[in-house]
Amino acid sequence: MMQRRHFLRGLGGVIIALPFLETFAPKGALAAGPPPFAIFMRQANGVVQKTDEPDVFWPKALGKLTKAGLAAESDRAVSVLSDYADKLLVVQGVNFAFPGNGCGHSGGGNQCLTAAKVSDTPSGNESLAMGESIDNRIARELQPAGVEPLTLYAGKMSGYINEVLSYRGPKQLRSAERDPFVAYTKLFGAQNMDAAALERLKAARSSVNDLVRGDMKSLMGRTDLSADDRARLQLHFDSIRDLEVKMACALPDMRLAEMQAIQPTVGSSDNVQTVTKMQMDIIALAVSCGSVRAATLQIGDGNDSTEYTIYGQKQYSYHWISHRIQSDGASGTPIDNGAELHHEIDKIHGNLFKYLLDRLASYTIGSGTLLDSGIAVWTNDLADKYHSYSNIPYILAGGANGFLATGQHIDAGGVTNNKMWNVVGAAVGCKTNGKPMDDFGDPSLDPGFIPAMMV
Amino acid sequence: MKPEQSRRVRRERRPGSRSSFTLIASGLLAVGLALAGGCVGTIGDPPGESSCTSCPTNPDPATPALETTRFPRLSHLQWENSVQDLLYLAQPAGLSASFTGDPLGGIFDNNESSLQVTPGLWADYQTAAEALSVLVTSDATKLAKLIPSDAPADAAGRAKAFVEHFGMRAYRRPLTPAEVTGYLAVFAKGKALVDGPDDFAKGARLALQAFLQSPHFVYRVEASSTAIGAMIPLSGFEIATKLSYMLWNTMPDDALFAAAAAGKLDSAEGVLAQAQRLLADDRARMMVAAFHHQLFQYDHYDDLTKDPTLFPDWTPALGADMKQESEMFVEDVVFAEGGGIKQLLTEPTTFVNADLASIYGLKGSFDSKFVKVDLDPKTRSGILTRIGFLASNATSHEQHSIHRGVFINRRIICAKLPDPPNNVPPLPPASAFKTNRERVEKHTGKGTCGETCHGTLINPAGFAFEHYGAIGQYEDTENGNPVNSADTYPLDGKDVSYNDAIAFDGLIAESDQVHACYAKHWLQYGYGRADQPADAVAIADLAKESRKGAKALILALTQTQAFRSRIPHTETP
Repeated sequence: MMQRRHFLRGLGGVIIALPFLETFAPKGALAAGPPPFAIFMRQANGVVQKTDEPDVFWPKALGKLTKAGLAAESDRAVSVLSDYADKLLVVQGVNFAFPGNGCGHSGGGNQCLTAAKVSDTPSGNESLAMGESIDNRIARELQPAGVEPLTLYAGKMSGYINEVLSYRGPKQLRSAERDPFVAYTKLFGAQNMDAAALERLKAARSSVNDLVRGDMKSLMGRTDLSADDRARLQLHFDSIRDLEVKMACALPDMRLAEMQAIQPTVGSSDNVQTVTKMQMDIIALAVSCGSVRAATLQIGDGNDSTEYTIYGQKQYSYHWISHRIQSDGASGTPIDNGAELHHEIDKIHGNLFKYLLDRLASYTIGSGTLLDSGIAVWTNDLADKYHSYSNIPYILAGGANGFLATGQHIDAGGVTNNKMWNVVGAAVGCKTNGKPMDDFGDPSLDPGFIPAMMV
Repeated sequence: MKPEQSRRVRRERRPGSRSSFTLIASGLLAVGLALAGGCVGTIGDPPGESSCTSCPTNPDPATPALETTRFPRLSHLQWENSVQDLLYLAQPAGLSASFTGDPLGGIFDNNESSLQVTPGLWADYQTAAEALSVLVTSDATKLAKLIPSDAPADAAGRAKAFVEHFGMRAYRRPLTPAEVTGYLAVFAKGKALVDGPDDFAKGARLALQAFLQSPHFVYRVEASSTAIGAMIPLSGFEIATKLSYMLWNTMPDDALFAAAAAGKLDSAEGVLAQAQRLLADDRARMMVAAFHHQLFQYDHYDDLTKDPTLFPDWTPALGADMKQESEMFVEDVVFAEGGGIKQLLTEPTTFVNADLASIYGLKGSFDSKFVKVDLDPKTRSGILTRIGFLASNATSHEQHSIHRGVFINRRIICAKLPDPPNNVPPLPPASAFKTNRERVEKHTGKGTCGETCHGTLINPAGFAFEHYGAIGQYEDTENGNPVNSADTYPLDGKDVSYNDAIAFDGLIAESDQVHACYAKHWLQYGYGRADQPADAVAIADLAKESRKGAKALILALTQTQAFRSRIPHTETP
């Protein structure tokens, strides 16, 4: 097996380190903050909120959030974020707009970040979103051409439904990287070069790229191509980039060694939380360096089958627990303490989200932190144990430089989730006709914002 | 992509073809999926031969075929194999292991609709091309293998010989003069732009980087454009490429290139001769293994948790053992025995080491080495009575009849099952019933709201395997009560009854539905795409070949008109 880390690459294959910089938990303040960014962490299978079971997820009351108040509500999953009470924006009353098509999980995943319809074909567990996702919109509009949003994953890939979150466009599902070491190497695995060597490399790659572009143009010039083939070649053509020189960032060698060590078991249930935290280190580093403006992190497969260890004991598949039965289907032996276990899993996700906030808050910028520059979102592709599409969890943190009205728990009143992403997209700088973006998602949906989210 | 206009069906019998296998012109006919709403019907029943008496007739007999891509991208497995063969490496380079993954596109990893060159994958290809170019040009022995033996001694002539010879193998067709000129220009820049032992190696290094990133390498380009009648015949080189990637998951060898150059692939007979040769090679065994690995979901054998108080000897390491058992069993059935899906479902031989032998209850002396054994034909038949399938469709402490039934309906029989409804109350507590089956029946069986799917299709298939517990162990009793594995299932349009898994496996193994299902999956994998309504005729014909064994079915896939041609593009650009 060849060791790829010795070869130069970076996001989009373009970054060369000049100079090498340690930015993991930097001691000194960054001179200037990176541009606003958005990070989306997705939990599966809904949360334990009000159904025929009591709500143990949301803060008890709407209104202002305080550290002491949240900490006192220890029976609520969101309580684990009490340290960040003034940075939080907890939003109830947001729904998916469209029905699924034969599989609730797939339909939820399709709509989670897209606010788009679910495909007619394929259907069932193979259904796809009919529009781009918000991370793609942010990257497409605010990142350089050819640089995609960071798309990461933690945990099992079952083969039933794997990635669900990030879409380049209708039915264009983006794959996610679940190996932190690979993800890191692709983003930051560069090495120092002197200026002369760099110029040679640049020229060598350009000569190769020119030839490949010529081949591509020749194929794209044909008149007998289907629309699908045109799109396929265009995506490929747009992916070809010449060498650019940027500042590189890095995590400490010890952390990289841990990532390398976990590679063989990166998908096991036992490692889901560890891998999630590693991916969060990478995301925090990437946004701190301005490498990306949008990132997604999917925890678990489509109907997350992770077997969490709770009370010192490995439990049933999270999906089974979420249905309170020992089955992926509609019937099975009851799991008597299913609601309690599901609540524990909600808290596990809350604590993982807190880890992300800790990482972002560790980068100091002026009198604030990196967290203040962007937005981190903890969401779910389903609402509750019945896997409904109404009252989807949205826990936002950070204010995108004061754009969001943080420190409160609001009820949006039953709006569709395109309005949620309009707010987030506008907060990080997306525009429609020169004005803050307000028309994300399916064109049939009412445009606009959730005003109470905004300052 | 818009459906093309429908075209007339052309069915023909080709003289000399090895069977009465008749073909679609992909395209052409059209019979819809014989899918009823709800839980009856089969997928891909042939017209007039439907085994499913309750299914509706196709409402649109003119359902057209869809144009397939001209640019199917190599799967990561195919890329890895191709690089190894193209560069004559002794071992796989292993670089594809960290390539940007592809989203799922159905059951198999080679569905053309999911395979694209994205920014991440382009960067992966670039990184890999640079690494491989250094690997090969740093070693004079490796580089020499890429240069034709009769190459001229002068630098210019040698470079041209290298570009033409290597280029033909990388592009899987001869380069055009303009392409040769382009690569020679890149070759010439190598001296100044890259490192290497000498000027030739430097030139080759840069040229290799370009070859390995070219669309003509990363896609199996089908450029042919001249229609003859309703179809565009593929060129010999395009057929050679299609054949080798279908049967070997890698590039053509020299003999296949020679056959293409000599025009020997322009007929079905010529294709068949090469297909038979390729199928006799070990690389075909790897392809057959990859197909069954995905179809039977061997990956679900990993990371299984079993109750340590009930099964103290169970370890997750058994996952690898169960995979190896399954791979050896499939290879033995298909290649040593000449069997197909019938034998895969019914053959009671398998391969075990000591750990697996213990679960099967085999007497004798076993160690870590896998040996072929005969299982008790009264308690074990084919792949569905193997530990891998049974344990991966079970809870930590008992069998999971519903999961087993769903898998069999979807993957083996291709019965149409809708997804389960939300908000269904759970099964009653186990303590209220004598057996697992009694409990499941009470909740989902005949006379309940779950009858349509569970009562008629899922439960009967799953209950046949009630004798096999959480780790696939065979048991006669459950909680002191006799196990009941008898039931009735609607097969080929009529209800069939059986007493146990052995009888059930025997019945489905002979059924039209199962052979059509196996054929449909082979069409998906062999052609690297989802099946279309217009494939119904082909699937029906392939199902007949399936009765002769998997190899006959695979060969038949190369004999369709669709294999050797493509549908002209009619969409306005």
